[in-house]
Amino acid sequence: MFHFFSNKRLILLLLGVILLVALISFSLRDRDNVSLPEQLIKDGVGAGQMVFSGPAHFVTGIFDNVDSLLNTYQENKYLKSRLEEFAGVQAEVTDLRSENSELKALVGKEADMRDYNPIQATVIARNPDQWEEKVIINKGSSSGVLENMAVMTAQGLIGKVTLTTPFTSTVELISTQDPNYRVSAMVIGGKKDVFGLIEGYDSERRELLLKRIDADIDIKKGQQVVSSGLGGIFPKGIIIGEITEVAIDEFGLTKLAYIKPAAEFSLLNHVVIADRVMPEVDGEDNGETAEEEAP
Amino acid sequence: MMRYLILGIGLVLFFMEPVFGLFSPLKLGGEYYYIVPRFLIMFLIFVSVYFDTKHAMYYGLFFGLLYDVFFIDIIGLYSFLYPAICVVAGYTVKTVQRNLFVATLLTLVLTALFEFVLYQFFTLISLTDVPAGTFLATRLWPTMIANSLFLFVLGWAFKSVIVGRLIEREKNPSVY
Repeated sequence: MFHFFSNKRLILLLLGVILLVALISFSLRDRDNVSLPEQLIKDGVGAGQMVFSGPAHFVTGIFDNVDSLLNTYQENKYLKSRLEEFAGVQAEVTDLRSENSELKALVGKEADMRDYNPIQATVIARNPDQWEEKVIINKGSSSGVLENMAVMTAQGLIGKVTLTTPFTSTVELISTQDPNYRVSAMVIGGKKDVFGLIEGYDSERRELLLKRIDADIDIKKGQQVVSSGLGGIFPKGIIIGEITEVAIDEFGLTKLAYIKPAAEFSLLNHVVIADRVMPEVDGEDNGETAEEEAP
Repeated sequence: MMRYLILGIGLVLFFMEPVFGLFSPLKLGGEYYYIVPRFLIMFLIFVSVYFDTKHAMYYGLFFGLLYDVFFIDIIGLYSFLYPAICVVAGYTVKTVQRNLFVATLLTLVLTALFEFVLYQFFTLISLTDVPAGTFLATRLWPTMIANSLFLFVLGWAFKSVIVGRLIEREKNPSVY
C-alpha cells in the first residue's frame, strides 16, 4: 500500500485534486449558458437516453392502464354523480368566456398574461442521485424552449427550465432547496388577491413556503395559490397548490404560508412548457432580482 | 466485437439508472423512501476486482464525466469519485481472497461509502439540509437494499462476462 504514494504519483495526485477543486468551483458558479462541449455531451447522452426511456414509459403506461381499469367501477359511479353538475358549469363557463372576450374587446385589451403557447415535452430522465431536484426533458432551444420558462403537468406547476441545449433542457423542480429559486405567486379565493413569493421548500413536510405576505392581510387554510405572472416570465394562473398552514416568519414582520403542491413530483412523464404570449421581462422568476425589489 | 462488451454493458447500465430513478421517491405508508440506482458503479467495482483496475478507472472517468455534464452540472464530482472508488476496490481486493461473495460484499460496502461521500459533499455545498439520521433511514437503507437485490440477481452474470473477457485477453495479449 505504501509504495502507492511514491513521489511522482503524489505530485500527480495533488495536481489532480487541484484540478478537481478548480473544475468544481468553476461549475458551481451560476453559469448562464452551457459551453459547446457540454452541449454536445448533453445532446448526445439525451439522444441515447430517449432510446431507453421510451420503452420504460410504455411499460409504466401499461401498469397505469391496468390500475385505472381496476378502479373503473368506482370512478364511473363518482363521475356519474358529477355529470349533472357538469352541464350547468359548462354552460356557465361558455357564458362567462364570451362575456370576458366581449369586455376585453370593449376596453381594447389584447394580450393577457394568462395566455401561453404550450410546448409538449416528455421527461427522459431524472437525476438518478436525487440530491438535486432535476429532470431532463426532450425539447430544447430548437423547439423554442428558453431558460426560466414555467413547466407544468395537468395538475399544476412543477418547476422551471434552468438550462437548454438544442435538443434537451434541464428542469429544476419547485421542490428544490436552491435559495435563488423564486416564483411570484398569489393567493386567490379571498376578497382580494394576495401576492407573495414562493421561496424554499420544507423537505420534512414536503410543502412549499410562500413568503413576504403583508402581516395585515388575512389568508386562510385551504385557499388556492396560483402563479401571479408578475415575476416576468411565468404566465398568470398556473395552479401551484393549496395553503395548509399560516404562520409568522422569523422576523415577525411578514406572514409565511405552507403550501401543499398540487402536482405530484414522482413518476413524471408528460409535461407542458408554458411559453408566455406577453413579452417577457426580468423579474423574480429568473432568480436574479435583488431582495429589496420584492413586494 | 467482444472487446467492447464491457463498455457496452456500462453504457446500458448508465442509461438504465435514470429510467429507474423515475420511480423514486417511493411512498410507503405515508413515508417517502429514496432509491438511488447505482448499477454502474457496482459494475465498475466488479471490473476493477476481476479484470483490471486501470481499465475500470478509465471507464469510471468516462462515465463520471458524462454523468457530471448531463445530470448534475458540477464537473469533477462523479468523474473523480468513480475512478477513486475503483482504485480503492482494486487495492482492497489484493489483500483478500477473490471470490463472488467477497466481491459482492466489497461492492456493497463501497457503494454505501460512495453514497455517504456524496451526501457529505451536497451538505457541504448546502444543496441539501437533510439530517444524518433521516439520510440513513430514508435514503441509504432503501438504496442499499434495492441495489443489493440487483447485485444478487446479476452479480454472477457480471462476473462471468468479465472473467470471459479476461481469459480472452490472456489468449491473445497482442491486441492490448
